[in-house]
Amino acid sequence: MLFDATEQFINGVMYGSLYALIGGGFTILFGVMRRFNLAYGATIMAAAYVSLVPLYLFKAPFWLMALTGLAAAVLIGLLVEFCCFRFIKKGHELAPLVATIGMLIAVTEAIVHATDAAGLKYPSPFGDESFELGRFLIRPDYLAVLVASVLCFALIFLLLYKTRLGRAMRAVAERPEAAQILGVSVQRVNVLTFVLTSALAGVIGFFAAVSIGAARPDIGAFVTGKGLVVMVLGGLGSLPGAIVGGLVLGVLEFEATWFLGASYRDILAFVILFAVLVFRPSGLLGSRTP
Amino acid sequence: MDYYIAIASIIGIHTLLGLSVYLVAISGQMSFGQQGFFAIGAYLAGMSTALWGIGLLPALALSAVVAGLIGFVVGFPALRVRGLYLAIATFGFGEIVRLAFLNVRYTRTIGDRVVGPNGAEGFRHVRYVFDRGFTGAHYLGIILAALAVVVVLYYLLERSKLGAKLRAVEEDETAAAMIGINVTQVKVLAFSAAGAVAGLGGGLFVHYSTYIDHDMVALPLAIAAVTYPLLGGLGSFVGPVLGAVVLVSLTEGLRVLHELREFVYGGLIILTMIFRPRGIVDEALVLRVKAWFQPRAARP
Repeated sequence: MLFDATEQFINGVMYGSLYALIGGGFTILFGVMRRFNLAYGATIMAAAYVSLVPLYLFKAPFWLMALTGLAAAVLIGLLVEFCCFRFIKKGHELAPLVATIGMLIAVTEAIVHATDAAGLKYPSPFGDESFELGRFLIRPDYLAVLVASVLCFALIFLLLYKTRLGRAMRAVAERPEAAQILGVSVQRVNVLTFVLTSALAGVIGFFAAVSIGAARPDIGAFVTGKGLVVMVLGGLGSLPGAIVGGLVLGVLEFEATWFLGASYRDILAFVILFAVLVFRPSGLLGSRTP
Repeated sequence: MDYYIAIASIIGIHTLLGLSVYLVAISGQMSFGQQGFFAIGAYLAGMSTALWGIGLLPALALSAVVAGLIGFVVGFPALRVRGLYLAIATFGFGEIVRLAFLNVRYTRTIGDRVVGPNGAEGFRHVRYVFDRGFTGAHYLGIILAALAVVVVLYYLLERSKLGAKLRAVEEDETAAAMIGINVTQVKVLAFSAAGAVAGLGGGLFVHYSTYIDHDMVALPLAIAAVTYPLLGGLGSFVGPVLGAVVLVSLTEGLRVLHELREFVYGGLIILTMIFRPRGIVDEALVLRVKAWFQPRAARP
């Protein structure tokens, strides 16, 4: 009992780090632009598919696959920024949201059309054999997700707190008008925020497909659902909150799958989400009241 | 002809869903969870006619009333949060409903058919309408009649004091509270009524398609439901009606474009938002149209 709980806890933390990355992507964009990008899930899904191209063409190694996915995601991200955010007048919060729905439809269709809506097998470059660590069985792809997430978050925090761009991003997040007056180009920061979150989308797409074992069109809806839950669990716009929210969700899901069965896993996640929103609307780590 | 009847039926049902989101939206809230009420209505109406032998009209009334009551119950906790938080909370509610139906098994064998919600297999054989010899055209008539009733109610609502209160709450909650409007009451009322409208839509849908499963009420339906009023415009109930008509017709009409269809569809949504960020029928347009019916001297 305790052993099982511990093993699922370890799995949950490892897989939850992927949820943390997803939540982080949504959170950074929301934090800086106060806008919500519904095409983000489609970007992640498209990145997963595109990263298969070099594998099919010339049996590329996995880092090249990840890089291809990352490049594709950044291109799509720039397209989303250009089409759905740049030309919409200020003061209309919901218009970019609807525009990203249009982009979501177009990107999903492009992928579905290119692959005849079929899921494509995604070979794990980390091997399929679980290995033992002490008494616990560890899945190598989960461990890889954890390592990648730690690296990504380390890079993101370095960027946000140690560089001029990071300072500009935080300034825009805090008060866009004030940042503009002080000489920060809000437009440029927005574009670079899109580049950053989309690069993250590339990484997420790669690891999501690896852990699922296939690139599938429904990855988009999957990561959107998880991203929303993680964002709110942690507190909107809080990056540490996204990390905590992701890990909490991961652990909860694994424990629930083990003790209650897979069909109650998702329902538990949403019941907890609803409860957190009602009793602690600012999220687990959020300080700002909604 | 059957093809056009099918499209018109879908438009009618989706218009109800769009109107449901609209009603929440004009009290200043954004719900991504109306598909949950749609699912409740669909499953409940389906069980009523297929399992419990209740007639169609009582079944539709039941699904609207129960969805409305659940809207009332969910409304109180959900409306403690605002904006994107509410959007995500309501989406969470929709997913809870969807996943609950994924786990519900309540079947009975009638003749050689297994009828009833059957977990992931969905709910098949809701054949009340077509077993009784109704054609698609007849059923379209029923859908349009239900839609007409709802639209008339919306028309009356928007001319009533309650409609003005809703708009006041949307504009500025604090100011609305200061002139004595009970903000919570108004919001919960809107949320309950919106739940009833979505439930009615679900009840109509399940009898049209004879089938419902959890996949049909997932995120894509939520997104479609929100798109209708936001694209059609939040200025008047004409907005969501127009949004549903335009978008569903486009989905079908653009079939001639084959591969390019969804790109044009997505592109048109983006362009509309760039040029009309408050939707096609926005407040400014509504005021201008209203001015046509004013005596000339009263025009600004």
